[in-house]
Amino acid sequence: MTLRREVAAVARLDLAEVLRSRWLVFCLCVHGALAATFVLVGLRESGIIGFTGMGRALMSWTHALLFLLPLLALSATGQVVNAARDDGTLELLLANPVSRTGWFVGTSLVRVLALVAPLLVAMPAMAIAGSLAFGQPVPWDFVWRGVAVSTSLLLCFVALGLCISTFVRNQAKALMLTILVWVAGVALIDFGLIGVMLQWELPPSAVFTLAMLNPVQCARLALLSAAQPELATFGPVGFFLANRVGADGLLAIGIGWPLLLGATAWAWSLAMFKRRDLV
Amino acid sequence: MRVELRSLGKRFGKVVALRDVVLDLPAGGRTALIGPNGSGKSTLVRLLMGMLDGDGDVVVDGTAVGMDRRALAPKVAYVPQIAPRLAAPVRDVVRAAAGLRGRTFAQVAELAAALHLDLQGVARQPFRTLSGGQRQKVLAALALSSGAEFLLLDEPTASMDPRSRLEFFRLVEALPASTSVLLCSHRLDEIRRLVDRVVVLAEGVITWQGTADAWLQEHAEATIEVRTDSDVASAWLQARGFLPGATGWWNKALPVHERAHLLAEIGRNLNGQVRDLMARDSERVAPEATERGERS
Repeated sequence: MTLRREVAAVARLDLAEVLRSRWLVFCLCVHGALAATFVLVGLRESGIIGFTGMGRALMSWTHALLFLLPLLALSATGQVVNAARDDGTLELLLANPVSRTGWFVGTSLVRVLALVAPLLVAMPAMAIAGSLAFGQPVPWDFVWRGVAVSTSLLLCFVALGLCISTFVRNQAKALMLTILVWVAGVALIDFGLIGVMLQWELPPSAVFTLAMLNPVQCARLALLSAAQPELATFGPVGFFLANRVGADGLLAIGIGWPLLLGATAWAWSLAMFKRRDLV
Repeated sequence: MRVELRSLGKRFGKVVALRDVVLDLPAGGRTALIGPNGSGKSTLVRLLMGMLDGDGDVVVDGTAVGMDRRALAPKVAYVPQIAPRLAAPVRDVVRAAAGLRGRTFAQVAELAAALHLDLQGVARQPFRTLSGGQRQKVLAALALSSGAEFLLLDEPTASMDPRSRLEFFRLVEALPASTSVLLCSHRLDEIRRLVDRVVVLAEGVITWQGTADAWLQEHAEATIEVRTDSDVASAWLQARGFLPGATGWWNKALPVHERAHLLAEIGRNLNGQVRDLMARDSERVAPEATERGERS
């Protein structure tokens, strides 16, 4: 049996599992609720202060997604491998002609699909719906930028979640670790780090490095790079980088670094999954 | 398919789960692996399936296989004791597992029907909402329809009703003679019906192996229950090790091979004093039967 057939079989079963557990619907609802909220808020504000409504709404929405997407991705994947190990799913499937690689790839693909598909639907749909309802022009550049950055961030945290679930056998401990990773991702943006730097007198270079290693920060800067670089919006790290590498550079880093980090984490997890005891 | 285990060992941290296990499972052999909880049965099965990495070698038809069981997997089918609680519908679980072996839903449904399960009727139900017995029937039907040369059965009928268990025995007996079976079980009727050889594991080592008949003769237990109103008969029974029960019943557990002799003795000595008499085989392997035993 070829790897492609193994992956397809595992993916079909896992997709049925995901659909039955309503993950896809939940993600779509979360994205949709956020979209509706920010379209309404953004457009109302634009009516009051004359701001270009859709761009502001999308900016606010994607900013909120930067905090939410890692949490969704981690909670959807942080207990995949260890739960399958505990409940006998791995034992059942791997007793069939399925390789460990086939199972891992198939499961990863479904988790990515379950998280990315609602985003790909909700983001352009929100833009179009807002445009039709309120007659605002759709800032398509920003929409696609948001889609690309959010997808890259999702892939990164899906991989980190799979990595946690591969290495941490205890599901409760894995859950704690996913929360810690999420808190670290959200907290280690440069505004928070500046506070840390002032409190504990960390060298600025350490703060800048930590901020830029954080995929959430990279994604945030990539999204903001569409706007005029201002210290108040970008924060010190972002402002410094925006002036050094420019908007395109920020976009490239914001998409590239999470992807690289995610790919590394995923490959490492797969290697460990293939080598370690499964039960 | 012949499987040889050569000096198989496994430790989890400081705990030795299996030590230097040497076992030959010939093509067409039907072997029961018995032992108390924690004796290493599941570890051995999982090493065989490549889910654990241990010491020693698993040799299939003369070729040592590592942890990569891709060549082995199509030839092996497994019925776990506890079925996973998948949320996916039964139809999807069956299609995925059967599809991996080139089988169809209909082929599995046919065998499930033999085990008294209407697979089509539960096809849309989430797998986890089936009862334990129904889930086990689905897994048994998948394994039996797989055409595998080697069946690994871990307490395969533990949750099945008596009628389905008998049908399962019949289906296994009807498998081609070349099909090997490795059965992990605590049930005497499974051992009686499904295997011709017994291997006893205790604390990770093989303590006994031989024919199923020899093992059953030595270790299987029967219980004889006698009901009497006679004081003389009661005294006679007590003198022969019977224990008193409720409402005039006396009972005694004894090795199966002593059963016929004792029944004849009761017939000779208590003629006319017995109101009821029952003799039945124990259903489960007694713990002592696996804890004692000599090294093979």
